[in-house]
Amino acid sequence: MIRVRGMRKSYATGKVTTEVLRDVDLDIDEGEFVSIIGPSGSGKSTLLHAIGGLDTNYGGTIEVEGADLAKMSDVQRSGYRNETVGFVFQSFYLLPHLTCLENIALPSVFKRTGSMDEAAAHKRAAEVLAQVDLAEKADALPTMLSGGQRQRIAIARALFNRPKVMLCDEPTGNLDSKMGAAIIDLFRTLNDDGITVVIVTHDPQIAASTKRKFLVNEGGLTEVEDPAAAMFRGVSEDDTAPEAQP
Amino acid sequence: MRSSRLFRVVAANLNRSRNHFLLASVGIVVGIATFSFFIALGLGVRDVVLGKIFPLDQLEIVPKSLDLAVGPLALGGASAIDQAKVDELAAIDGVEVVYPKMRLTVPSLGIGGKEVLGTDLRSEMVADGIEPALVAEDITGKYAFEDFDDPAHPDYAEPEACTEDADCGDDRYCGRPIGYQEARLRKKGEGPKEHPQVCRHYIPIIASDHVVELYNGALRRAHGFPKLNPEFVLGITFELKVGASMVSASRKDEIIRERGRLVGFSSKAITLGITMPIGYAKRFNVAFGKPEDAQRFHSVIVVVPEKDDVAAVAKAVDELNLEVADTGAEQAALLIAIFIAVFSLVSAVIVSIAAVNIMHVFFMLVYERQHEIGIMRAVGASRGDITTIILGEAAVLGAVAGVVGVLLAFAAAAGFDAVSANYIPDFPYKPSTYFTFPWWLVASAMGFSVSFCIFGAFLPARRAAKMEPAMVLSGH
Repeated sequence: MIRVRGMRKSYATGKVTTEVLRDVDLDIDEGEFVSIIGPSGSGKSTLLHAIGGLDTNYGGTIEVEGADLAKMSDVQRSGYRNETVGFVFQSFYLLPHLTCLENIALPSVFKRTGSMDEAAAHKRAAEVLAQVDLAEKADALPTMLSGGQRQRIAIARALFNRPKVMLCDEPTGNLDSKMGAAIIDLFRTLNDDGITVVIVTHDPQIAASTKRKFLVNEGGLTEVEDPAAAMFRGVSEDDTAPEAQP
Repeated sequence: MRSSRLFRVVAANLNRSRNHFLLASVGIVVGIATFSFFIALGLGVRDVVLGKIFPLDQLEIVPKSLDLAVGPLALGGASAIDQAKVDELAAIDGVEVVYPKMRLTVPSLGIGGKEVLGTDLRSEMVADGIEPALVAEDITGKYAFEDFDDPAHPDYAEPEACTEDADCGDDRYCGRPIGYQEARLRKKGEGPKEHPQVCRHYIPIIASDHVVELYNGALRRAHGFPKLNPEFVLGITFELKVGASMVSASRKDEIIRERGRLVGFSSKAITLGITMPIGYAKRFNVAFGKPEDAQRFHSVIVVVPEKDDVAAVAKAVDELNLEVADTGAEQAALLIAIFIAVFSLVSAVIVSIAAVNIMHVFFMLVYERQHEIGIMRAVGASRGDITTIILGEAAVLGAVAGVVGVLLAFAAAAGFDAVSANYIPDFPYKPSTYFTFPWWLVASAMGFSVSFCIFGAFLPARRAAKMEPAMVLSGH
């Protein structure tokens, strides 16, 4: 479903150019539950943003369902973000002036195929709000909610257009461990429903709960069996997943 | 993106940032109010000047003349326009209709006004005649402007003898027969004592709006007369002595005594004097001159409905060895056009400065909302959607500022008119309102307001659309 080949990404700061990702290859099949782990600044979020079509300024190719994201027009890529993927961010990124229901229905404003009127959008938003167990918070503003509740609202927004892929960038980073575990359980449930879930995290425990784990380190991407060991020792042959070994 | 959903997003954003937008829109409001106020003032003044003082759609055509100044006298003068020339004028492209005018070529005296002013006035009368049909739309009161002495007129009848007005009913008076000339009484007691008397129709008389304006604006003050309402002086009658004059040297040996009745006002009437149906003027001129005087017109009013045709018509008139009388309309139109242009420019400068202010505000808002823009991009907004939202906010801001600006202009105009009505003394052609707000002016003001706001928000919108969502959302 997701095919990354030879991806390179560098950032320029003044005259200094830093290469964060170097010849990254990655294949994720439909319905997989995948984590990408790595230290801060290793480039894992950069990879996730590129897969999500938020960044096209990279080398190599990223194909999702056979379509090269870099070759799409802005409108096509926007449609892809709207309908194929759902984003969940560490900082929730809810719009503070909109109610929970309106935040969740936000993707409907930019829907291009089968556009929805406001009533239909709110009906669908109420459905996903119930799915994340926050039906009673429909008219609440995000500022009135706890961190865990806000992240559930963000997840509900990501689910609004029934995406095939959930791209989660440190989704538990701003939550306590109990709330974080609940959110991961929610992702697992969604994955059980057939949604492909890709989680970027620096927490080996969360990574351990996913079916496949990848470590981003020093520009490279390696699939690992034991993310905690790989994180602290660097990648060794013992840590690599059997199918990823040469 | 559905327009109704877009409008909700735009409305929510405007509501959130209303304080910023309130400050940003002040300049636009002032600029649009200035624009609407002064353009409306220019148009209002133009309506008065070119509609009443110098009607621009009517050209007065006169024979070409070459006047030579010899001491206090001007020698030369113009010949008349004959019927053939009138027909040629009517055939010029762009000319809708022609109004031949015949001046009364003999002196005349008007005596009357007691019923309105309390005392009779005697005045030399300058008079001319025009076709009644040509002022039909101006004369809508109870009195008709028709040639009752024309044998072809439906009401024409053989005159009945009478001894006093009461014998003739309300609409007629007891006077001399048509064209009856009586010898002037050179000395007291001379002349025939008895004249035949028959029932006659009053000569219908119309006057120019100028006459009332001049009377109310200047003459009445000098003599302490009351102000006249044009509608209330209709129907007043006066004596008209054709051939008589207060200037002894010009006196004819015989005079025709008539009575006239003021039946209406028209811009087509002679500027200073009285205008009667052309048949009366013809009969008087022939009575005191020659039969061919019935076909000699001193000018022709040519109606050119399209202002764009005026130049071509003037050229064709010149080729007929005639000329357009200089009424000052062109100079007046030029002055008004300059006035409108100058204030349009001032308004444009104000609105342009306001647009720069709007640009600053939108740049600031785009910076403040960069995360929000990133979120929208993440959930499917395209660059075009982001541009549309920001320009939509600018358009709504412009529309609201435009409405407020136009309302402010309306209010200022109403205030100006109220001050004029209550505190500025009457003057000739003093209008009840100095302003004209045609629909296109309001539409233009709204259009300018929206356009300048969109113009101001264009660069910020472009910057917002170009933001890389990944950069914004990752905090780089």
